[in-house]
Amino acid sequence: MSDKPDIRVLLIDDEQTLLEYLSKRLLREGFTVKATFSGEEAIEAASNDNYDVAVVDLKMPGIDGVETQKRLKKIQPFLQCIVLTGHGSIESALKSGQQDAFKYLLKPIDYEDLVEAIKEAYKKKVEFVNQKFKEQVEEIYRSGLGAKGIKKAIRELRKLYGID
Amino acid sequence: MASIKQLEQQLKKLSLELSKHEIEFHQARQYLQSILENSDDMIFATDVDGTLLSLSKGGERVLGYRSEEITGSFIKQFAVNPQEFEKLIRKFQDEGSPVRFELPFRHKDGHTVYCDVSLISLTNTNGQNMGVVGICRDMTSWKQLQEHLIRVDRLAEIGRIAAGIVHEINNPLAVISEIAGWTKVMVEDAKRLSKKAKKELTKSVNDIMEQTRRCRAVTHQLLGFSRDSAPEKTDVNLDELIRQTITFLQPELKYKDVEIVYNFETTPIHVSTDQKMLEQVLVNLVTNAIHAITDKPDGKGRIEFQIKEGDGHVEVAISDNGPGIKEEDREKIFNLFFTTKPSGIGTGLGLPICQNIMKKLGGEITFETEVGIGTTFRILIPSE
Repeated sequence: MSDKPDIRVLLIDDEQTLLEYLSKRLLREGFTVKATFSGEEAIEAASNDNYDVAVVDLKMPGIDGVETQKRLKKIQPFLQCIVLTGHGSIESALKSGQQDAFKYLLKPIDYEDLVEAIKEAYKKKVEFVNQKFKEQVEEIYRSGLGAKGIKKAIRELRKLYGID
Repeated sequence: MASIKQLEQQLKKLSLELSKHEIEFHQARQYLQSILENSDDMIFATDVDGTLLSLSKGGERVLGYRSEEITGSFIKQFAVNPQEFEKLIRKFQDEGSPVRFELPFRHKDGHTVYCDVSLISLTNTNGQNMGVVGICRDMTSWKQLQEHLIRVDRLAEIGRIAAGIVHEINNPLAVISEIAGWTKVMVEDAKRLSKKAKKELTKSVNDIMEQTRRCRAVTHQLLGFSRDSAPEKTDVNLDELIRQTITFLQPELKYKDVEIVYNFETTPIHVSTDQKMLEQVLVNLVTNAIHAITDKPDGKGRIEFQIKEGDGHVEVAISDNGPGIKEEDREKIFNLFFTTKPSGIGTGLGLPICQNIMKKLGGEITFETEVGIGTTFRILIPSE
């Protein structure tokens, strides 16, 4: 799958069987997938590894989709979130809108729609990261640090942006 | 002995007084008459046996009879429940003090008129009981409003229940659809399957996916009941939408001998409206048409579609050659929970929802029906 970029996807849904099959399909298409079954688990995963796109179910026991999204964004500000919502939870969908969800998909989701949304979200993330990274690198150069300082600052920046 | 003159004077005085009383009497009578003729309330008088002596103009309106048609008959027979009315009158006569109660009457044409009834004793100058006067206020519209509110309440409740059920069904539906999707790619990848087996498996999996799509369409429709969103207008090709509706309902049509006729213009007619809402109206109406021709004991069922462009609107007519709607059912078909289908099949939601949606779309829904010939439903969609 060389024509596809390696997109790191974090799936969060308490419906384990759904995630099992969804993960398999996404893996087969060449995505890197981590399946988590609760908000807590997802936050832990996001503290350890970098992800490009999170697919979050709105209604979950424990911390719900809105809260999960909020905390994920705190850990990885560039992470794009796709929110899965059932009907009748439009209000909470709007609430999660305040957390800048990239897109909402109505459950039950259509697989093709989801793949499309993940790719779009990734594109947005890359643009966003590039722009911010550029701005911050320019700032580092302007700050008048020495060569060693600049190197260190950029290394930290790379870490923050998840650029390995 | 009084002189003739004196007597004459007395007579004059008496006749003067008499004419004065006559005037008073006349005025009182006129006053009463104008009340009886102009009040919207039904005012009636009966003798002690409950035989109707007089009925006001308002009473003629409430019951639908002319006063002279029914004076002399028992008043109780115009109540929906005569025994109950008689019991109330008797109780009132025994106790003597004025009473008030709610009682339904039956109009000449059969419909029920809900009245707020006050009874008053009719006594002669000796204080003897001569009968009963009743003043009845028509409360039907108030009652209807009350019932409407209860219905709206029930609909909201149904909506809440539907939303809950749909959510529970959507999740396993999503899982089934995912597993089918995975199976499909597994079949594609499988190396040792024969071409024939691959084809067979792929078709089966596609069928599973198609059925989950169908379920999803149903759950989405169900949610239309509970959601109160504003219409989202897009350009809708009506010809295509109607054909799609028939495709969607194909499983219902499969085992029935039905002819579908499209009387369309050569160029498809477009209208700007909410496609999903209109689709729901069409699905409901066509479903009803299918049920109507299923009940048909003789011959082939036919469902006919016609689209016409009118002045400021587009009209879609859906006709069936089913048994038609019985006269007594006609005014009830848009009532919530009214159904002629067997329980478990009819919910009594379809037509009220159609009406509700058409109202939201700024259009309307009407029907024509003839017993033994068929029914045509027309929806008018505003075209700006």
